[in-house]
Amino acid sequence: MRTVNRVASMVLATALLVVGAVVAVQALLVALDRPAPLLDRTGWYGVLTSARWHDPGVRTVAGAAALVGLAILAAQLRRWTPVRLRTDERDGWHLHRRCVERRLADAATAVPGVRRARVRVRRRGTEWHPRVRATGDPAARAEVEFAVHQELHRLAAPRTGQITVRLLPQRRPV
Amino acid sequence: MTDAAHRLLWTIVALLLVLGGGVALGVSFDVLPGDPGAVLVGAGALDRWRLAAPWSTLAAAVAGALLALAGARLLARELHRPDHAMRGTLSRPGRRPGRTRLATEVLAHALERDLTGDPGVRRARVVLTGAPPRPDVWIRVDLTADARAAGVREHVHSAVRRFATTAGCQPAHLDVTARIEPGRP
Repeated sequence: MRTVNRVASMVLATALLVVGAVVAVQALLVALDRPAPLLDRTGWYGVLTSARWHDPGVRTVAGAAALVGLAILAAQLRRWTPVRLRTDERDGWHLHRRCVERRLADAATAVPGVRRARVRVRRRGTEWHPRVRATGDPAARAEVEFAVHQELHRLAAPRTGQITVRLLPQRRPV
Repeated sequence: MTDAAHRLLWTIVALLLVLGGGVALGVSFDVLPGDPGAVLVGAGALDRWRLAAPWSTLAAAVAGALLALAGARLLARELHRPDHAMRGTLSRPGRRPGRTRLATEVLAHALERDLTGDPGVRRARVVLTGAPPRPDVWIRVDLTADARAAGVREHVHSAVRRFATTAGCQPAHLDVTARIEPGRP
Protein backbone atom coordinates (compact mmCIF):
# COMPACT_ATOMS: atom_id res chain seq x y z
CA MET A 1 0.00 0.00 0.00
CA ARG A 2 2.92 2.31 0.68
CA THR A 3 4.21 1.95 -2.89
CA VAL A 4 0.70 2.34 -4.31
CA ASN A 5 0.28 5.55 -2.30
CA ARG A 6 3.58 6.92 -3.58
CA VAL A 7 2.83 6.17 -7.23
CA ALA A 8 -0.74 7.49 -6.91
CA SER A 9 0.56 10.69 -5.30
CA MET A 10 2.97 11.23 -8.19
CA VAL A 11 0.16 10.70 -10.71
CA LEU A 12 -2.08 13.10 -8.77
CA ALA A 13 0.70 15.70 -8.58
CA THR A 14 1.36 15.49 -12.33
CA ALA A 15 -2.35 15.72 -13.10
CA LEU A 16 -2.77 18.77 -10.84
CA LEU A 17 0.25 20.44 -12.46
CA VAL A 18 -0.88 19.83 -16.04
CA VAL A 19 -4.59 20.59 -15.51
CA GLY A 20 -3.84 23.67 -13.39
CA ALA A 21 -1.37 25.07 -15.93
CA VAL A 22 -3.80 24.47 -18.83
CA VAL A 23 -6.70 26.11 -16.96
CA ALA A 24 -4.56 29.11 -15.98
CA VAL A 25 -3.24 29.71 -19.50
CA GLN A 26 -6.60 29.18 -21.20
CA ALA A 27 -8.46 31.41 -18.75
CA LEU A 28 -5.87 34.15 -19.24
CA LEU A 29 -6.30 33.87 -23.02
CA VAL A 30 -10.09 34.19 -22.61
CA ALA A 31 -9.64 37.22 -20.31
CA LEU A 32 -7.44 38.85 -22.98
CA ASP A 33 -10.03 38.10 -25.72
CA ARG A 34 -7.65 35.73 -27.46
CA PRO A 35 -8.75 32.35 -28.84
CA ALA A 36 -8.43 29.53 -26.30
CA PRO A 37 -8.19 26.39 -28.49
CA LEU A 38 -8.33 23.77 -25.71
CA LEU A 39 -11.43 25.27 -24.06
CA ASP A 40 -13.25 25.57 -27.39
CA ARG A 41 -12.57 22.02 -28.54
CA THR A 42 -13.46 19.95 -25.53
CA GLY A 43 -17.27 20.24 -25.54
CA TRP A 44 -17.40 20.22 -21.73
CA TYR A 45 -19.48 23.38 -21.83
CA GLY A 46 -22.22 21.63 -23.78
CA VAL A 47 -22.25 18.69 -21.37
CA LEU A 48 -22.45 20.85 -18.24
CA THR A 49 -25.24 23.05 -19.63
CA SER A 50 -27.37 20.20 -21.01
CA ALA A 51 -26.93 17.25 -18.56
CA ARG A 52 -29.51 17.05 -15.76
CA TRP A 53 -29.02 15.74 -12.23
CA HIS A 54 -31.29 12.72 -12.80
CA ASP A 55 -29.51 11.63 -16.03
CA PRO A 56 -28.13 8.07 -15.83
CA GLY A 57 -24.68 9.35 -16.86
CA VAL A 58 -24.55 11.82 -13.97
CA ARG A 59 -25.72 9.14 -11.52
CA THR A 60 -23.12 6.69 -12.82
CA VAL A 61 -20.28 9.18 -12.45
CA ALA A 62 -21.45 10.24 -8.96
CA GLY A 63 -21.87 6.63 -7.83
CA ALA A 64 -18.47 5.66 -9.20
CA ALA A 65 -16.83 8.62 -7.42
CA ALA A 66 -18.47 7.68 -4.12
CA LEU A 67 -17.50 4.00 -4.49
CA VAL A 68 -13.89 4.80 -5.43
CA GLY A 69 -13.74 7.19 -2.47
CA LEU A 70 -15.06 4.51 -0.10
CA ALA A 71 -12.55 1.97 -1.45
CA ILE A 72 -9.63 4.40 -0.98
CA LEU A 73 -10.90 5.29 2.50
CA ALA A 74 -11.09 1.64 3.53
CA ALA A 75 -7.60 0.98 2.18
CA GLN A 76 -6.16 3.95 4.07
CA LEU A 77 -7.93 3.33 7.38
CA ARG A 78 -7.25 -0.39 7.73
CA ARG A 79 -4.27 -1.43 9.83
CA TRP A 80 -1.08 -1.72 7.81
CA THR A 81 1.64 -4.23 8.55
CA PRO A 82 4.44 -2.31 10.29
CA VAL A 83 7.68 -1.90 8.31
CA ARG A 84 9.77 -2.85 11.34
CA LEU A 85 9.75 -5.65 13.88
CA ARG A 86 10.53 -4.62 17.43
CA THR A 87 12.96 -6.99 19.10
CA ASP A 88 13.09 -5.44 22.55
CA GLU A 89 10.74 -3.12 24.40
CA ARG A 90 13.54 -1.50 26.38
CA ASP A 91 16.42 -0.66 24.05
CA GLY A 92 14.56 0.58 20.96
CA TRP A 93 16.12 -2.03 18.64
CA HIS A 94 14.11 -2.87 15.52
CA LEU A 95 14.76 -5.11 12.55
CA HIS A 96 13.49 -4.28 9.09
CA ARG A 97 10.65 -6.74 8.46
CA ARG A 98 11.38 -7.31 4.75
CA CYS A 99 15.06 -8.06 5.51
CA VAL A 100 14.12 -10.55 8.24
CA GLU A 101 11.61 -12.31 5.99
CA ARG A 102 14.15 -12.49 3.15
CA ARG A 103 16.81 -13.93 5.45
CA LEU A 104 14.42 -16.55 6.80
CA ALA A 105 13.34 -17.44 3.26
CA ASP A 106 17.01 -17.84 2.28
CA ALA A 107 17.57 -20.09 5.29
CA ALA A 108 14.55 -22.24 4.37
CA THR A 109 15.63 -22.47 0.71
CA ALA A 110 19.10 -23.67 1.79
CA VAL A 111 17.56 -26.89 3.18
CA PRO A 112 18.11 -29.78 0.73
CA GLY A 113 14.89 -30.67 -1.08
CA VAL A 114 13.38 -27.18 -0.78
CA ARG A 115 13.20 -25.09 -3.92
CA ARG A 116 11.33 -21.87 -3.24
CA ALA A 117 10.31 -20.40 0.09
CA ARG A 118 8.34 -17.40 1.18
CA VAL A 119 8.21 -16.25 4.81
CA ARG A 120 5.88 -13.87 6.61
CA VAL A 121 6.53 -12.83 10.20
CA ARG A 122 3.73 -11.66 12.46
CA ARG A 123 4.26 -10.27 15.93
CA ARG A 124 1.81 -11.11 18.72
CA GLY A 125 2.77 -9.39 21.93
CA THR A 126 6.47 -9.99 22.36
CA GLU A 127 6.52 -13.19 20.29
CA TRP A 128 7.32 -13.57 16.61
CA HIS A 129 5.32 -16.06 14.57
CA PRO A 130 7.04 -16.94 11.28
CA ARG A 131 4.93 -18.59 8.58
CA VAL A 132 6.87 -20.45 5.91
CA ARG A 133 5.37 -21.44 2.57
CA ALA A 134 7.77 -23.45 0.49
CA THR A 135 7.86 -25.78 -2.47
CA GLY A 136 9.75 -29.01 -2.01
CA ASP A 137 9.83 -32.35 -0.28
CA PRO A 138 7.21 -32.42 2.55
CA ALA A 139 9.56 -34.69 4.51
CA ALA A 140 11.94 -31.73 4.96
CA ARG A 141 9.48 -29.92 7.25
CA ALA A 142 11.48 -30.48 10.43
CA GLU A 143 14.73 -29.34 8.77
CA VAL A 144 13.05 -26.15 7.49
CA GLU A 145 11.72 -25.40 10.96
CA PHE A 146 15.17 -25.96 12.44
CA ALA A 147 16.87 -23.74 9.79
CA VAL A 148 14.39 -20.91 10.41
CA HIS A 149 14.88 -21.28 14.14
CA GLN A 150 18.67 -21.08 13.75
CA GLU A 151 18.41 -18.00 11.54
CA LEU A 152 16.13 -16.30 14.07
CA HIS A 153 18.73 -17.04 16.71
CA ARG A 154 21.42 -15.46 14.49
CA LEU A 155 19.23 -12.36 14.12
CA ALA A 156 18.90 -12.15 17.91
CA ALA A 157 15.13 -12.32 17.55
CA PRO A 158 12.99 -12.28 20.70
CA ARG A 159 11.03 -15.30 21.90
CA THR A 160 9.63 -17.14 18.91
CA GLY A 161 6.17 -18.65 18.96
CA GLN A 162 5.10 -21.50 16.78
CA ILE A 163 6.85 -21.68 13.40
CA THR A 164 4.27 -22.63 10.81
CA VAL A 165 5.73 -24.52 7.86
CA ARG A 166 3.68 -25.37 4.80
CA LEU A 167 5.61 -27.46 2.31
CA LEU A 168 3.91 -28.08 -1.01
CA PRO A 169 5.27 -30.90 -3.15
CA GLN A 170 6.78 -29.73 -6.39
CA ARG A 171 4.74 -30.43 -9.51
CA ARG A 172 6.48 -32.70 -11.94
CA PRO A 173 6.58 -31.51 -15.58
CA VAL A 174 4.29 -33.56 -17.82
CA MET B 1 6.87 12.57 1.95
CA THR B 2 6.36 10.17 4.82
CA ASP B 3 3.92 7.27 4.79
CA ALA B 4 1.71 9.11 7.28
CA ALA B 5 1.59 12.18 5.00
CA HIS B 6 0.57 10.00 2.04
CA ARG B 7 -2.08 8.33 4.15
CA LEU B 8 -3.49 11.70 5.23
CA LEU B 9 -3.47 13.04 1.66
CA TRP B 10 -5.37 10.05 0.29
CA THR B 11 -7.82 10.02 3.21
CA ILE B 12 -8.67 13.64 2.38
CA VAL B 13 -9.00 12.81 -1.35
CA ALA B 14 -11.24 9.83 -0.50
CA LEU B 15 -13.46 11.95 1.79
CA LEU B 16 -13.83 14.58 -0.95
CA LEU B 17 -14.79 11.89 -3.47
CA VAL B 18 -17.34 10.33 -1.09
CA LEU B 19 -18.77 13.74 -0.19
CA GLY B 20 -19.00 14.95 -3.81
CA GLY B 21 -20.42 11.66 -5.09
CA GLY B 22 -22.84 11.40 -2.17
CA VAL B 23 -24.18 14.93 -2.58
CA ALA B 24 -24.60 14.48 -6.36
CA LEU B 25 -26.44 11.19 -5.79
CA GLY B 26 -28.57 12.81 -3.08
CA VAL B 27 -29.65 15.62 -5.41
CA SER B 28 -30.14 13.19 -8.29
CA PHE B 29 -32.50 10.94 -6.25
CA ASP B 30 -34.25 13.95 -4.67
CA VAL B 31 -33.03 13.02 -1.18
CA LEU B 32 -31.19 16.31 -0.73
CA PRO B 33 -32.64 19.78 -1.47
CA GLY B 34 -32.41 20.65 -5.19
CA ASP B 35 -34.27 19.97 -8.39
CA PRO B 36 -33.24 16.62 -9.98
CA GLY B 37 -34.55 17.86 -13.32
CA ALA B 38 -32.34 20.96 -13.36
CA VAL B 39 -29.23 21.11 -15.53
CA LEU B 40 -25.85 20.85 -13.78
CA VAL B 41 -24.88 24.44 -14.63
CA GLY B 42 -28.03 26.50 -14.96
CA ALA B 43 -28.72 29.74 -16.78
CA GLY B 44 -28.50 31.73 -13.54
CA ALA B 45 -24.95 30.60 -12.85
CA LEU B 46 -23.93 31.34 -16.44
CA ASP B 47 -25.42 34.85 -16.21
CA ARG B 48 -23.56 35.52 -12.98
CA TRP B 49 -20.33 34.28 -14.58
CA ARG B 50 -20.79 36.55 -17.63
CA LEU B 51 -21.72 39.56 -15.48
CA ALA B 52 -18.58 39.10 -13.37
CA ALA B 53 -16.28 38.92 -16.45
CA PRO B 54 -13.39 39.60 -16.77
CA TRP B 55 -12.93 38.99 -13.01
CA SER B 56 -14.51 35.55 -13.22
CA THR B 57 -12.04 34.39 -15.89
CA LEU B 58 -9.17 35.97 -13.98
CA ALA B 59 -10.32 34.10 -10.85
CA ALA B 60 -10.33 30.89 -12.91
CA ALA B 61 -6.77 31.69 -14.07
CA VAL B 62 -5.65 32.25 -10.46
CA ALA B 63 -7.35 29.03 -9.35
CA GLY B 64 -5.59 27.17 -12.17
CA ALA B 65 -2.24 28.68 -11.18
CA LEU B 66 -2.77 27.67 -7.54
CA LEU B 67 -3.70 24.15 -8.64
CA ALA B 68 -0.54 23.92 -10.76
CA LEU B 69 1.54 25.26 -7.87
CA ALA B 70 0.09 22.66 -5.51
CA GLY B 71 0.86 19.95 -8.08
CA ALA B 72 4.44 21.20 -8.52
CA ARG B 73 5.04 21.26 -4.76
CA LEU B 74 3.59 17.79 -4.31
CA LEU B 75 5.75 16.49 -7.18
CA ALA B 76 8.86 18.14 -5.71
CA ARG B 77 8.19 16.50 -2.33
CA GLU B 78 7.70 13.12 -3.99
CA LEU B 79 10.96 13.38 -5.90
CA HIS B 80 12.89 14.71 -2.93
CA ARG B 81 15.17 12.07 -1.41
CA PRO B 82 14.27 11.63 2.26
CA ASP B 83 17.95 11.35 3.30
CA HIS B 84 18.50 15.01 2.49
CA ALA B 85 15.49 16.06 4.52
CA MET B 86 16.63 14.27 7.65
CA ARG B 87 18.56 17.03 9.35
CA GLY B 88 18.00 17.29 13.06
CA THR B 89 18.36 20.38 15.21
CA LEU B 90 19.05 20.54 18.91
CA SER B 91 17.51 23.64 20.41
CA ARG B 92 17.45 25.04 23.92
CA PRO B 93 15.71 28.17 25.25
CA GLY B 94 18.15 30.59 26.91
CA ARG B 95 17.73 32.61 30.09
CA ARG B 96 17.18 35.73 28.01
CA PRO B 97 14.62 35.82 25.18
CA GLY B 98 15.80 33.65 22.32
CA ARG B 99 16.75 30.09 21.64
CA THR B 100 20.07 28.40 20.91
CA ARG B 101 19.97 26.04 17.93
CA LEU B 102 22.71 23.59 17.10
CA ALA B 103 22.97 21.84 13.74
CA THR B 104 23.51 18.27 14.75
CA GLU B 105 25.44 17.13 11.68
CA VAL B 106 28.85 17.21 13.39
CA LEU B 107 27.68 15.17 16.39
CA ALA B 108 25.71 12.82 14.18
CA HIS B 109 28.69 12.24 11.86
CA ALA B 110 30.89 11.45 14.86
CA LEU B 111 28.42 8.81 16.03
CA GLU B 112 28.08 7.44 12.48
CA ARG B 113 31.89 7.03 12.25
CA ASP B 114 31.91 5.20 15.57
CA LEU B 115 29.06 2.93 14.47
CA THR B 116 30.76 1.97 11.18
CA GLY B 117 33.85 0.96 13.17
CA ASP B 118 32.33 -2.50 13.53
CA PRO B 119 33.00 -4.68 10.46
CA GLY B 120 29.39 -5.88 10.58
CA VAL B 121 28.03 -2.36 9.99
CA ARG B 122 28.24 -1.30 6.36
CA ARG B 123 26.42 2.03 6.66
CA ALA B 124 24.99 4.07 9.50
CA ARG B 125 22.68 7.07 9.53
CA VAL B 126 22.07 9.12 12.66
CA VAL B 127 19.55 11.89 13.31
CA LEU B 128 19.39 13.86 16.55
CA THR B 129 16.35 15.90 17.50
CA GLY B 130 14.96 17.48 20.63
CA ALA B 131 16.60 19.34 23.51
CA PRO B 132 20.45 19.23 23.86
CA PRO B 133 20.82 17.67 27.28
CA ARG B 134 18.51 14.78 26.43
CA PRO B 135 18.10 14.49 22.64
CA ASP B 136 16.14 11.84 20.76
CA VAL B 137 18.55 9.62 18.82
CA TRP B 138 17.35 7.90 15.62
CA ILE B 139 19.77 5.39 14.13
CA ARG B 140 19.57 3.29 10.98
CA VAL B 141 22.28 0.71 10.41
CA ASP B 142 22.82 -1.47 7.34
CA LEU B 143 24.44 -4.74 8.40
CA THR B 144 26.51 -7.05 6.24
CA ALA B 145 25.18 -10.51 5.46
CA ASP B 146 27.60 -12.19 7.87
CA ALA B 147 27.02 -9.80 10.79
CA ARG B 148 25.93 -11.29 14.12
CA ALA B 149 22.94 -9.19 15.15
CA ALA B 150 23.57 -9.60 18.87
CA GLY B 151 27.19 -8.42 18.54
CA VAL B 152 26.23 -5.41 16.42
CA ARG B 153 23.47 -4.57 18.86
CA GLU B 154 25.96 -4.47 21.70
CA HIS B 155 28.36 -2.39 19.56
CA VAL B 156 25.61 0.14 18.79
CA HIS B 157 24.73 0.52 22.45
CA SER B 158 28.41 0.94 23.38
CA ALA B 159 28.76 3.63 20.68
CA VAL B 160 25.70 5.45 22.02
CA ARG B 161 27.11 5.26 25.56
CA ARG B 162 30.45 6.71 24.33
CA PHE B 163 28.58 9.43 22.47
CA ALA B 164 26.57 10.30 25.59
CA THR B 165 29.75 10.58 27.65
CA THR B 166 31.80 12.67 25.20
CA ALA B 167 28.99 14.95 23.92
CA GLY B 168 27.28 15.27 27.28
CA CYS B 169 23.95 14.30 25.72
CA GLN B 170 22.14 11.43 27.37
CA PRO B 171 19.55 10.16 24.86
CA ALA B 172 16.00 10.57 26.08
CA HIS B 173 14.77 8.20 23.40
CA LEU B 174 16.80 5.76 21.33
CA ASP B 175 15.38 4.22 18.18
CA VAL B 176 17.51 1.83 16.11
CA THR B 177 16.47 0.19 12.85
CA ALA B 178 18.73 -2.52 11.45
CA ARG B 179 18.57 -3.70 7.86
CA ILE B 180 20.41 -6.90 7.09
CA GLU B 181 21.71 -7.72 3.65
CA PRO B 182 20.28 -10.85 2.06
CA GLY B 183 22.43 -13.90 1.52
CA ARG B 184 23.95 -16.43 3.84
CA PRO B 185 27.46 -16.06 5.25
